[in-house]
Amino acid sequence: MTAVVAAIGRSGARRLSVLGGLARFALGAFRAAGRLTRAGRWVTLRVLINQIRFTALQASGLVTFLAAILSFLVISQTIRQLGRVGATDLIGTVIVVAVIRELGPLLTALIVVSRSGTAIAAEMATNRVMGEVTALEAMGIDPYIYLVLPRMLGAVVSVAALMILFDAVALTSGYLAAALSGMHFPRYSNIVLTTLSAKDIWLTLAKGLVFGAAVAIFPSYHGLAVKAGPTEIPQAVTRGVVATIVAIFVSSAIFVVIAA
Amino acid sequence: MPPATVRTARTSWLTQAMTFGLATAPPLVFRDVDLKERPDHPDKRFQLTVEAGTVVVAIGDEDSGVGDLGGWALGLRHPPSGRVEVFGAPIGALPYYDLLLFRRRIGYHPVGDGLLQNLTLRDNVALPLRFASDHRQAEVDGRVNLLMDDFRLRSVALLRPAQANEEDRRRAALARAVALDPDLVVLEAPFDGLTSRAGQDLLDRVSRRVDGSRRAVFATVQDLVPSVRKTVQRVIKVADGAAVEEAL
Repeated sequence: MTAVVAAIGRSGARRLSVLGGLARFALGAFRAAGRLTRAGRWVTLRVLINQIRFTALQASGLVTFLAAILSFLVISQTIRQLGRVGATDLIGTVIVVAVIRELGPLLTALIVVSRSGTAIAAEMATNRVMGEVTALEAMGIDPYIYLVLPRMLGAVVSVAALMILFDAVALTSGYLAAALSGMHFPRYSNIVLTTLSAKDIWLTLAKGLVFGAAVAIFPSYHGLAVKAGPTEIPQAVTRGVVATIVAIFVSSAIFVVIAA
Repeated sequence: MPPATVRTARTSWLTQAMTFGLATAPPLVFRDVDLKERPDHPDKRFQLTVEAGTVVVAIGDEDSGVGDLGGWALGLRHPPSGRVEVFGAPIGALPYYDLLLFRRRIGYHPVGDGLLQNLTLRDNVALPLRFASDHRQAEVDGRVNLLMDDFRLRSVALLRPAQANEEDRRRAALARAVALDPDLVVLEAPFDGLTSRAGQDLLDRVSRRVDGSRRAVFATVQDLVPSVRKTVQRVIKVADGAAVEEAL
């Protein structure tokens, strides 16, 4: 019995220690912003622009495609079902609450995790294995400043921008689905605009910030935690991506509670 | 270096080292350091002082522990016992951010080269100037141009490390080590894979400061060719955990 309790305690302590490490890591990344040198700002900006190009620009096609398909399917099916009971006006609630407020941010974050989260974790792990992190520290350069900060800023900006793109495409695609069912634009826009509130815009931006930070911090943390060698890189990537997905779903649930 | 106001506001070993004028202390001192986890005898502890302006080479076999000395000198790792002082400050006791600040006075060439693979050789050389100094961009570019010329890297400046040959990678790594014109340079296996002529040439460049004076250089090697010995003031053989002075 004692052994079971001890095993549970050990496992719990290990998980808490990982959470503590993550919290310290995230704090370190935020604090790094204040220590950026003048010339370093230009380089960080360059890395940041590259990161946005890879994370946001190159993912925009996929986000557009998935947003269009998802919204089209959801609105088509909703109009068909609600039309039977004469409640088509409720599509505003469906598109705003289900697509824009919940599915949009989740799907966008998952797309970014699958593309950029894996890349960030693999890059950080490779940096660690190749001794580049030690070389940075030996030069007096904080690895948070050079490696983590630009990726975190890039991910936050990219996820927020992609969420806005997702929402815009979803609304347009939703209109196409509604038009095919005989709904005119003035009625569609009226229904959507009546349901849409300022809270939805703030929620989208807040989720962009939180999900974006998660997309950078979790893979960076697990990537930089690699010690043994190259064989540990794929494991670090898996750990980073899984942890990010869990964090995104948990924080999404927290947003629901906060916004209720 | 950060503005003086920042330094005076901090309370750390580094501040004390600067306040008490320890810049005049020997650049590097190993005091009673155990090169083995379990020393055979207290007399078999590593003692070494690297004086300002001298080039000191520690030579030893792979299992002698000589390979640990560079990391200890930078505070990247800590010896099992004893202490390492850099400009009078016990580097192992410095808090992390003070350590980062302090390391800007020390150039470092790790085993291999430690170059960042996603940067060109030029950007690798510029890295410490951009992120570990408060120089303006134009000042950084000027200093990098000088280093690229001095270390004969102009023609390969835009290559990534994987595209360059071993000698050019080594030149770039050494140029990066002296980019901030440090008072002390620590080199790990800097001559591996180089011709004796190239090794001598690079050591000569590394030991010269911007104003023409000599800086302290501490190198750890497994083998030392005669031509390089000409540029070296002291050769220390690591034997059974202790430092034995070797005749030049």
